Amino acid sequence: MAPTSFRILKTLAVGAASGLVLAACGGGNQSSSLASDQTLNFPILSDFGTLDPAVSDSETDQEIQQNMFDGLVKFDENLNIVSDLATAVPQPSADGLTYVFHLRQDVTFSNGDKLTSKDVLYSWNRAAAYQGSYATNLSAIVGYERVSGNKASGAALEALLEKNDPSVTMTGLTAPDPYTVQVSLSAPAGWFLTAISLAGATGEIVDVNAVKQDPDNWWTKPATAIGTGPFKMVDYTPKQVVDFAAVDNWWGSPRPTLKKVHVDISVNNASTAIAKYEQGGYDIYGYGGYSNLPVADILRIKGTSNESGQLVLHPKVRTTWVTFNVHSDNSRVAKGPFTMDQGQSAHDLRLAFALAVDKKKLVDTVCQGIVCVQATGGLISPTLQGYAGDNTDPLAKFDPAKAKQLLQSADPTGSKTKGLQYAYDPENALNKASAEFLQSQWQDNLGVHVDLLPVSHSQFIKARLSGHYVISRDGWQADYNHPQDWYDNLWGKIVGCPDSGCSSGYDSPEYDQLLAKADSEPLDQAKSDYAKLAQMLIDNVLYIPLYYSVGGFLIKPYVKGAGTNSFFDHYWNEIQILSH
Amino acid sequence: MFTRGTLIYIGQRLVLITLAVLGVSSLVFVGVHRLPGDALFSEHLHGTQYELTLHHYGLDRPLWQQYVTFLWNMLHGDLGESLVNRGVPITPIVAREMSVSAEVGMVALIVTVGLGMSFGVIAALRQNTWIDYVLSTTSVIGYSMPNFVIATFLILVFGVWLENVTQGNFFYQIGWPGRYGSIGAIWLPAFALGFPSASIVARMTRASMLEILQQDFIRTARAKGLPTATITIRHALRNALIPVVTVLGPLAMAIITGGVVVENIFGIPGLGKEFATSILNRDYNVVIGVFTGYAALVGLTNLGVDLLYVVIDPRIRY
Repeated sequence: MAPTSFRILKTLAVGAASGLVLAACGGGNQSSSLASDQTLNFPILSDFGTLDPAVSDSETDQEIQQNMFDGLVKFDENLNIVSDLATAVPQPSADGLTYVFHLRQDVTFSNGDKLTSKDVLYSWNRAAAYQGSYATNLSAIVGYERVSGNKASGAALEALLEKNDPSVTMTGLTAPDPYTVQVSLSAPAGWFLTAISLAGATGEIVDVNAVKQDPDNWWTKPATAIGTGPFKMVDYTPKQVVDFAAVDNWWGSPRPTLKKVHVDISVNNASTAIAKYEQGGYDIYGYGGYSNLPVADILRIKGTSNESGQLVLHPKVRTTWVTFNVHSDNSRVAKGPFTMDQGQSAHDLRLAFALAVDKKKLVDTVCQGIVCVQATGGLISPTLQGYAGDNTDPLAKFDPAKAKQLLQSADPTGSKTKGLQYAYDPENALNKASAEFLQSQWQDNLGVHVDLLPVSHSQFIKARLSGHYVISRDGWQADYNHPQDWYDNLWGKIVGCPDSGCSSGYDSPEYDQLLAKADSEPLDQAKSDYAKLAQMLIDNVLYIPLYYSVGGFLIKPYVKGAGTNSFFDHYWNEIQILSH
Repeated sequence: MFTRGTLIYIGQRLVLITLAVLGVSSLVFVGVHRLPGDALFSEHLHGTQYELTLHHYGLDRPLWQQYVTFLWNMLHGDLGESLVNRGVPITPIVAREMSVSAEVGMVALIVTVGLGMSFGVIAALRQNTWIDYVLSTTSVIGYSMPNFVIATFLILVFGVWLENVTQGNFFYQIGWPGRYGSIGAIWLPAFALGFPSASIVARMTRASMLEILQQDFIRTARAKGLPTATITIRHALRNALIPVVTVLGPLAMAIITGGVVVENIFGIPGLGKEFATSILNRDYNVVIGVFTGYAALVGLTNLGVDLLYVVIDPRIRY
């Protein structure tokens, strides 16, 4: 029996765990005593976009911020929601509309300011008013709609926040006392706690005294880049280096062993950075959102006797698929043969294109069976809530005979599929290799020639979400462990479908109604509804599932506690440098 | 050496360089804003949230208004803020990265001139001997190989193989310590960058020297009993350098542009590492800043090369 994707991922996870244990134990040669220099060195290949949780967007932003800031709740290493600044994870009221958070009373910011409930109100109102990438994580709170219309920023926004101006104050957010925060939701939202657990995003708490000193650029300066986390910034030269130091007498646990974290931003080429790691210039490679190691480097390192044990491969919550444009109008200009208004023949064509691709071969060819595994259980990645289970997605099958038959009935003359273009962003080498593989599969198994259209990433995303491509590369990296993160952000009216922010253009009243119901339910109840939504996507053949990503890390044997789960790097306060 | 006329010439050139820099940055401003896609749009930031962010950065205003603001800020030495690294001012970044690129380029130029001239002079003085053949062959190899191949090969030798062979001696550690690097960090990238140009200089110097050494005034100098070193350096080389200096301008440009690739390979935090990524990310202000930096660097280097004529040939006056 062919190994299933989940089994492969489990094997990888076990391998990763073994690697981490080996790293922790030093592979037999490592002392267990601590090194005198507790400095962790690692590179990020591009400077972070921001360290302001209100407007952060990239994985790098969040991986760094999770060590500087805290939220009321957070994910532990096993992705369970646990308390952070709150004393406990609150249960919603019976009607699902109210959450009451009791704050720890021993928490201080790194500048010594005490944390109170006012800081929570300030941080969340500010984040909602800024309308950054993750502002919608707060969208269930009463009053969010009005605050989301705010256009003030910087000092002007600070002035509004200071006087509790109604335009920037969510009425559902109140502080009955200095250590209690009450959150009222406009409708039950089973995903709310999960969304605010996301590190480095809008749920994180900032210090009003620090922010108001320089409302636009407070996070760029050590004196004002203040959070409640175990590390604080001590030096920052943009695009060159950033240094963090452990906060003395930090309130949380475990207290950091590392004294300093040195993040090199001067190298922006993966292979150069890996070469520097191999020379001993870094302790870790892959942290900070750079776990997509080049396949060639992985293969080379696997072949070495002294470094192969330092390689850690771990499943990541990123899925890649091919998307069809199924809706066309004046604003979505890509017409093509796949739109739903063309009825059964378009459906059959989509199915033909899906069944004509040998995804197992794709994974072996493109990823060398290392940096990805076949997506056989739907779009939600394994290890996540909502994963459908191995081999449950019929669109993952490879059936060239049926594909050819469907094509002949839907497009007997070949006129509909003539001149098709597959758009992709070539910055990621896997995208280019996948595109070439898909082209050859459609040519060989359907006899359809599809031109490839490489488009730079910044242009590609905008054009794809506006319906400019008939068929294109698509994908999603989970933000938090809840199916709502996928179904709210990719399809349906809630994200803007069919006209904006929507790759496929798919929307239907049934989808919107069922999604609204699922989003309002506690997760255990909602799972079956989310599964029905997944079935709608399958029934309509909206995508061709390709692969789930696997992240790669290099960790020196003397670095204890470093590693990753399927979402984020292990926190810095769990890492120790052993004598070496 | 620098007469009043030369100083006026320098002043005029500096004005022209400033105008050229403004012209380049204006062209790039228009060009980069015409490119499809932008730095802010993402899978998480679209719709109303995206429009609000555009508004925050003033990118929803008409292009001519943005241009006026850009020009006004530019004249005040302010290149604006990065859109990718939100709120980070660009001017100090470009100034720092330009100084790093200039440092690497300058050392590469020293390699080009020093190595090239030495090879050329020795080859000319030992014409048709095995020394001439070795140096000429080395030169042919040098200008036949792209600098990124040389850079990769050097890293392989000095950054990997030599670690064990020489117990750490001559071992090259990738990276750039501190703001201005160190001698240990700069020599290898400078060599990779300067060696192809040095090979061209060597070929030209050799040819030029051979021609000069046949001239009557050299024969006269020998007849006067002047030492060979004096004849070679003071009389022959000085005259032979004029055509070499002429190609130095284009070679300096090749070194500056070649830095884009070599800096990436050696992990040097110069302008080169911004070049491609800022365009791909549509980080408008950084793109403009990088091109402005390169325009200034090219203009100033050309001016420096032109002033070398005055130093080498006293007959030349501006």
